[in-house]
Amino acid sequence: MPGVYNRAVTSRATIILQSRLTELERLAAFVDQFGEENDVGARDLFAIKLALDEVVTNVIRYAYDDAGDHEIVVRLGREDGEMAAEVEDEGRPFDPLQVGAPDLAAPLEQRQVGGLGIHLARQMTDRLEYRRQGDHNVLTMRRTLGGE
Amino acid sequence: MEIVETREQGVVVFGASGRIDASNAGLLEERVLGLIARGERRLVLDLAGVDYMSSAGLRVCLLAAKQLAGIQGKLALASLQDRVAEVFKIAGLSTALRVCRTRAEATAAV
Repeated sequence: MPGVYNRAVTSRATIILQSRLTELERLAAFVDQFGEENDVGARDLFAIKLALDEVVTNVIRYAYDDAGDHEIVVRLGREDGEMAAEVEDEGRPFDPLQVGAPDLAAPLEQRQVGGLGIHLARQMTDRLEYRRQGDHNVLTMRRTLGGE
Repeated sequence: MEIVETREQGVVVFGASGRIDASNAGLLEERVLGLIARGERRLVLDLAGVDYMSSAGLRVCLLAAKQLAGIQGKLALASLQDRVAEVFKIAGLSTALRVCRTRAEATAAV
């Protein structure tokens, strides 16, 4: 129904994941559901899903000094023409913005097999902000919707 | 993710479908590298049914291609969905790897 309800564009959702790779599928389903409820296009949704997947995978694999379970909080928000995705973890300090870009032009033999995740997350989003908040890492990614 | 393995004209073709992420890319890696270890040199990865792939899947493709290149083998990828193809492109892999439109083209390319 057109009208004022369409202008209520602020929407938020939160999910708490455990630090296990099997949670990635639950994360994807959560993003899909948010996208459906908030009329986010398939292309934008894929981008946000991939960026979050890469960041959360990195956290699960590298952030902790022990093998125990840790909570990872993922928040989604939609405001006007933009979607925000935030990842908060209690792992060791890590600022993905400090990671250098991989050499994409290198021939096959010289290509590194790792290090593509952060690159993808950066390419899939328009703005990234990192902050260390107490003993938590908080990474906020924003993507303008409907663009290229 | 599901993997169906077939052999066509001396080429091993893996038909994958579903999601490939860090939770299951290890299974694909085991299958692919296992075949290479057993002496297979011509591999095709048909991604027609894969609607989502993260860098964990890219890593397996890169790893297999590098291993095969070192032993005169070849890997070709086939039938990428648009969004998956874009992930390969952004990762700079659409030219570093052999990416074909169809399974038949990929089978002929290895």
